[in-house]
Amino acid sequence: MIMVRTSARTRRTAATAIAALSLAGLAACSGGDAAVPGADKGEQDDLLAAAPVASSLPAGSTMEKIKQRGELIVGGSLDAPLLSQQNPATKKVEGLDADFGRLLAKYIIGKPNVKIVNSASETREALLSNGTVDVVLQTYSINPERAKQVAFAGPYYTSGLVIATKKDETGIKAPADLKGKTVIAGANTPAIPAIKKAAPDAKIITFGSDPECVQALKQGRGQAYVQDEAVLLATAKQDPSVRIQGRPFTSDPYGIGLKHGDTQMKRFVNDWLKQIQASGLWAKVWKNSIGTVAEGAAPQPPAIGSAPGSE
Amino acid sequence: MNVITDHLAEFGEGLRLTVVLTLLSLAGALAAGVIVAAMRVSPVRVLRAAGMAYVEVLQNIPLLVWLVLAVFGLPEIGVMAGLFTTAVVVIALYQGAYMAEAIRSGINAVPAGQGEAARALGLTFTQSLRLVILPQALRTVVQPLGNIAIMTLMNTALAAAVGLVELTAAANRVNLAEAQPIWIFVGAGLAYMALSAVFGLVTGTLERKLAILR
Repeated sequence: MIMVRTSARTRRTAATAIAALSLAGLAACSGGDAAVPGADKGEQDDLLAAAPVASSLPAGSTMEKIKQRGELIVGGSLDAPLLSQQNPATKKVEGLDADFGRLLAKYIIGKPNVKIVNSASETREALLSNGTVDVVLQTYSINPERAKQVAFAGPYYTSGLVIATKKDETGIKAPADLKGKTVIAGANTPAIPAIKKAAPDAKIITFGSDPECVQALKQGRGQAYVQDEAVLLATAKQDPSVRIQGRPFTSDPYGIGLKHGDTQMKRFVNDWLKQIQASGLWAKVWKNSIGTVAEGAAPQPPAIGSAPGSE
Repeated sequence: MNVITDHLAEFGEGLRLTVVLTLLSLAGALAAGVIVAAMRVSPVRVLRAAGMAYVEVLQNIPLLVWLVLAVFGLPEIGVMAGLFTTAVVVIALYQGAYMAEAIRSGINAVPAGQGEAARALGLTFTQSLRLVILPQALRTVVQPLGNIAIMTLMNTALAAAVGLVELTAAANRVNLAEAQPIWIFVGAGLAYMALSAVFGLVTGTLERKLAILR
């Protein structure tokens, strides 16, 4: 059940790929994981090259144990497009959560060595508390209930509901632009009250499933479709005729899950997040994943410790 | 109980749409039913076959499938109608198949002598059907048609699946905001019951007035 991606396997894949030849030198010096063939991944190598490494690790800390082990074990997904999805051709896991995992690994170990253990929303707390994984990076919404079982560093990203339109739509950039428009939403989703709040006179039509909503949007039954960002990212990546407009307009803060009570590591990870936010690396990670299907510049990163449950 | 009084406007709008949807669909279904039933008893073989094919195709595919096909499939071949129009047409055509079968059974219940006498008087097939057979046939099947009317009312709830905010969808939305499913859906259920009670009363009255005692 547990799917494991080892860096050795990645190295082997990289070595067999023809395009890897040009990157072979890079692979040797960056520890393998970063050296994945493909011209468009050049940016990701830049990301890792610019990524900071912690100057010192407190003795006896969790971080020191991770460094001695030589890889960071991350609870995550392999099937979430633009967040954490394994590329079947290269076996590399790509996306926002995956990039943050590699950057954190580099910060602790000096090399972006990550092992992803496939976790599910029901198993994350258990995997953290029994030490199977070091961190969880998996669209893990911070809330006070969960904070009783795990520690949350971050929030590192604020997701929520976003607006999707057809590619050529220019008049809808923000929730206020939905005024007087026909808006598609999934039946019985939180999008319905959110649209009513943002644009009370918008006409809402609902369909049972996400593919139906997307189809209705493409057929012009409504000018916009409001849905959770993680769902729409997958749609937009698959279907170039759909575009995400603007940023999430409701707030769903994602945190990095850590073992409950490990305040030392939480402080350490929060410091790292502040560093990469300040250096602009955070924005580059966003540009590299979500930014490929969302219009405009990177959003303002969330303030560390701002979400209830992450204090 | 507050959840219902607080959202009377939403429920009212949903109820109005359900009633309009039902009445328009019923009118369409009755027209389609009469035409298809006439085709099925006509002396022209092609028409009989077409009528039978209509009934079989419409009845043997669930209404929800028809609705989804019409709403998402037709635009792909360039036929784009509004959600409401699409729903009315689809429900009318679907219920029309049931109507046709009920009316056909009514036609079969008219004694053969009636048709023979009409033809002997020199009426054409259409004339004898229109003036002699159908008036008697329809009076025989008031009760089954009333049942189909109630079935049509219930089936309009499926339009909620293709984006129409009729009574069921309205109840769903109120429940999403209030999370009190029992009161909300009991309320919607009572509204449906009241509507079908009206249909039942109308059917009963019509039958008492129109029934032919044989």
